[in-house]
Amino acid sequence: MEPVLPIPVAESPPAPPATEPLRRLHPLTPLLRGFRFVVVLVVAISWQGYQNLGTTHWAEAVGAIAVLVLIATLISYLLTGYYVVGRELRVREGLLVRRTRAIPLERVQSIELVQPAVARLFGLAELRLEVVGGSRTEAPLAYLRLAEATALRARLLDLARPRGQGVAAQPGTDRTDAIIDTPAEPVAPPEQVVHVVANRDLVFSQLLRPQWWLVPVGVGGTIWESLISADHAIGWIGIASTVTAVLGVVSAPVRVLLADWRFTLSTAADGLRIRRGLLETRSSTVPPGRIQSVVVEWPLLWRAAHWVRVQLHVAGVHDDRQQQRAGLLPVGTAEEAEHVLAQALPGVVLRETTIRPVPPRARVFAPLRASVLGYQLGPAAFATRDGLLTRRLVIVPYGRIQSVRVRQGPLQRALRLATVHVDVAGGGPSGTAWHVDVAEARWLALALAEHSRAARATR
Amino acid sequence: MTVFSIWPDDVVWRRVSPRLYWRAIFVRAVWLVALAAAAGVSWYGFDQWIGAAAAGGLAVLMLVRLVFVIRAVRSWGYAERADDLLVRHGLMFRRLSIVPYGRMQFVDVTAGPLERMFGLATVQLHTAAAASDARIPGLVPAEAARLRDRLAALGEARAEGL
Repeated sequence: MEPVLPIPVAESPPAPPATEPLRRLHPLTPLLRGFRFVVVLVVAISWQGYQNLGTTHWAEAVGAIAVLVLIATLISYLLTGYYVVGRELRVREGLLVRRTRAIPLERVQSIELVQPAVARLFGLAELRLEVVGGSRTEAPLAYLRLAEATALRARLLDLARPRGQGVAAQPGTDRTDAIIDTPAEPVAPPEQVVHVVANRDLVFSQLLRPQWWLVPVGVGGTIWESLISADHAIGWIGIASTVTAVLGVVSAPVRVLLADWRFTLSTAADGLRIRRGLLETRSSTVPPGRIQSVVVEWPLLWRAAHWVRVQLHVAGVHDDRQQQRAGLLPVGTAEEAEHVLAQALPGVVLRETTIRPVPPRARVFAPLRASVLGYQLGPAAFATRDGLLTRRLVIVPYGRIQSVRVRQGPLQRALRLATVHVDVAGGGPSGTAWHVDVAEARWLALALAEHSRAARATR
Repeated sequence: MTVFSIWPDDVVWRRVSPRLYWRAIFVRAVWLVALAAAAGVSWYGFDQWIGAAAAGGLAVLMLVRLVFVIRAVRSWGYAERADDLLVRHGLMFRRLSIVPYGRMQFVDVTAGPLERMFGLATVQLHTAAAASDARIPGLVPAEAARLRDRLAALGEARAEGL
């Protein structure tokens, strides 16, 4: 006779997958984040508040705010943590609304390690993951110790690699594909420096931007205005507004200068790595196959120096951070651009990008641009050229094409022309071949579809 | 003629349902009735011939446009190739979209009140690129469902990352 089993209790929930303990951010985090917040608040209270409140009251107010902010950030710090489950990073956060966000690592488009100036003093860093579909940077892990952030990045990139292409194939590491079972910290794969941008070139190139031309015009305008005014006095308002305007105008090149200082591009087994920055240093890693399109630009003022600029577009990196977006080459010669491009998009050779021009009748639409317009159906990517003052070459790898569109307006139809668009994910710059001959456009669209199919098949 | 067209002619184009004509005609008919009413009110109610003339002019324009609308409806077409879907449309502004099945993120089947009245539905294919434009209106529900299921199946079979 079978032994009488005890009445089964409510079945216990299935055991969660072997998780690792929740890891916290660095203990200095509340202080650093609170500091940032308090600075913003103090600026908001501003000079007027200071005058209205008097020194003591102002100090009290700021002190009270600082304490409150510190408490808030401390609580948020205590509630925030991250851990890795399988091939997912989970970030837990939130005071009122508790949230645990799971980020599948295969979906990560790029990982950035940011060190703001203050955090750098303490040897801390922030880790940012870019995922398609997020409205902003998902899961900014701020702040971690630099060594911890680097190790975590290496580990996440390792997990982000598609299965079957494990590190086992990489020389120097004799690990198998059992990444999930071995939570040991993976060693960051060795890097190979591809290109370093000379700071001198960066400074000169940024001085060669049209914004600077507006400075003497603005200053001269203010002086001229004072000269023709009755009392020959430059008013405070005039000076203040001029200074503000000048700062606003030159902030763009200056920001590029600060952001792209000591720009270094290197390759590692886990992708392209871009390091840059003077006060705030950034090191972004773009895993292979995540580059949606590359734009090579020849600004008018740079042409005498034979300089170009190369930018890359990764889905999920948002446009409001365009200033901070990683270029592939902030400034460099065509040869350097070619060298860099060969690393980013294997198979694309800038020198061999021979542009097929548009038919002469396209001048009806673009009298001047027609000499620039054109496209190339290259071996690995589709390239289109446009832009009169700043010539732009948009390069879209066949493997990244989402859809192909042909459009034709009535006038284009009369002239037997059509425009071919190539769409890429994430709202990045898409290739547009303007005013191509109709029969050619029809052929081109089908050829692009075929190339894109072939590129997807061989992956 | 085909030499001057952006639409490939070596694929099998499927046309949308002829009910789409009736929908277009219906919309215009409703407008005509409204315009006639406006003209009547203006003529008899306020003794204003200008209003009636304007309404009449609009009605004539609308009838002229109807001819083009019917031809535009006929220009809708789609072709299911082995790896991608082709959609064509347009009379004045012509367009052709080629969307690989593997790039499909999701498919929408929608039917507004007017479309439901004529037993029609619209199938739209979405990719990760916002600019992609693969919309096929004027499908009978059975065909819309068939297309949706086929696209979904093909999309799953050929699924790709970004």
